[in-house]
Amino acid sequence: MRDSVVVDGVGKTYAGGVEAIREARFRVAPGEFLSLLGPSGCGKSTLLMMIAGLLAPSRGSIRVDDAEVQGPRRDVGIVFQSPVLLPWRTVLDNVLLPVEMLRLRRTDYARRARDLLSMAKVDDFAAKLPHELSGGMKQRVAICRALVHDPALLLMDEPFSALDAMTRDQMGLELLRIWDVHKKTVVFVTHSIREAVFLSDRVLVMSPRPATIGFETDVKLPRPRTMDMQEADEFNRYVGLLRHSIEAGTRP
Amino acid sequence: MRGRSLLWPLAVTLAALVAWEAVVAALRVKTLLLPRPSLVAGVLWSRAPLILEHMWPTFYQIVLGFLLSLVGGVVVAVLLTYSEIVRKGFYPLIVVSQIVPKVAVAPLFVVWFGLGDLSRLLLAFLIAFFPIVINTATGLTSVDDDFVRMARGYMGTRRQIFTKIRLPHAMPLIFGGMKISITLAVIGVVVAEFVAAQRGIGYLIVMANGLLDTPLMMAAIAALSLMGLALYGVVAGLERLVVYWQVRTETPRGGFA
Ligand SMILES: Nc1ncnc2c1ncn2[C@@H]1O[C@H](COP(=O)(O)OP(=O)(O)O)[C@@H](O)[C@H]1O
Ligand SMILES: [Mg+2]
Repeated sequence: MRDSVVVDGVGKTYAGGVEAIREARFRVAPGEFLSLLGPSGCGKSTLLMMIAGLLAPSRGSIRVDDAEVQGPRRDVGIVFQSPVLLPWRTVLDNVLLPVEMLRLRRTDYARRARDLLSMAKVDDFAAKLPHELSGGMKQRVAICRALVHDPALLLMDEPFSALDAMTRDQMGLELLRIWDVHKKTVVFVTHSIREAVFLSDRVLVMSPRPATIGFETDVKLPRPRTMDMQEADEFNRYVGLLRHSIEAGTRP
Repeated sequence: MRGRSLLWPLAVTLAALVAWEAVVAALRVKTLLLPRPSLVAGVLWSRAPLILEHMWPTFYQIVLGFLLSLVGGVVVAVLLTYSEIVRKGFYPLIVVSQIVPKVAVAPLFVVWFGLGDLSRLLLAFLIAFFPIVINTATGLTSVDDDFVRMARGYMGTRRQIFTKIRLPHAMPLIFGGMKISITLAVIGVVVAEFVAAQRGIGYLIVMANGLLDTPLMMAAIAALSLMGLALYGVVAGLERLVVYWQVRTETPRGGFA
């Protein structure tokens, strides 16, 4: 099967001379849940923004669905660390923003938007303004917005890192539930080892800046994942393995 | 809520008027110097036709000058935001032009634009324009990068980013500018009327001054203030409708106790 994302020898040096990415090379299979794991400032966001077409690589090439990425694409959904909801729009209208931007017919997608909201358990808030929602609820809405136009690829940049620990675990479970129904390819950026293990099919470890992909492992935990798995030996073996590889990477 | 927030200022105003009345009566202050508030109120009532006649031209020039500065200010702010040439070339000039006290330019405007409405309108525009430009430009450019990145990620065009994100984001600040602007437009028109006019509240004040008719002068000032207050109220009311998403903080009860 052809790959959903191909990152081929990609490097990024910012205009100021900061080399964020030395070289990244990996592929993401269709329907795969892939995590990019690395310490803060190592270039995770930079890499994700390049896949999103929001930032141009300095070297190498990125292909999504066999087409060279030259700018934002209509079949990609993005979730940022903050929910970035427009405060003057209701929850439903926020979810429908991509539909408007892409000049699709609103009536064709209103139904889907409501279904996504009810799957994310925020349908009661469809007519409310964002400031009436909690942080976790806002991020659920942001995920619905990323999925409303039915993209094949979902890019997530530390989407749960601003949430408290309990909400965070809950959100992970719900993301997996939505992912199970909609079967998107997901590239998920995180600096939490446990989160990466819990969610992913495969984890790539990025070294500190200038980043390279230092280590990768498949996570062969059964699906659907449950909270209890976090105490299982196998789960903690993956966590240990990844921690060691990160510590090895940070050695001078 | 709203009724209660007006209660205290009204009570204080009333108390001040009563004190004024009492002091003037007790010290037998000459009416020429400081008339009693009740006398001013009486003049406001008995000479209402005269005051209203002069109020109308002042009113419509304030409104016109304000609307002109609103449209002009927003257009200039958009140009400042999107054109580097305008930003680099004209923005410093606009700022420097604000250092010239516009009130001092009023007589010059009469020389340039004549004794008619035009010179008064232009002075109001010139004074009221600046807060709109500054606030709008600040609002349009202070959008968080994440919002623009999000919109671009969904293939938003520059125009879409302007209409769907930058402009609504700027609305609270634009209204902040409008509230300053409407009070400045009042000043602009009245000062221009002081300099040269055959009608208008500014003219009435100068005329009453010449006749040593202090009660009429104060009645005219009171009428002008009430008009200014009403205009401000209209803008503030519109703001509540348009900027509906601004979270109005609920003040906890109990104060600082
Ligand atoms: N626009 C930029 N210009 C210059 N340097 C940048 C820019 N954005 C990020 N960087 C630098 O690139 C490095 C990687 O940043 P980032 O991709 O945000 O890391 P992460 O998401 O892993 O925390 C950091 O050292 C950061 O300071
Ligand atoms: Mg980041």
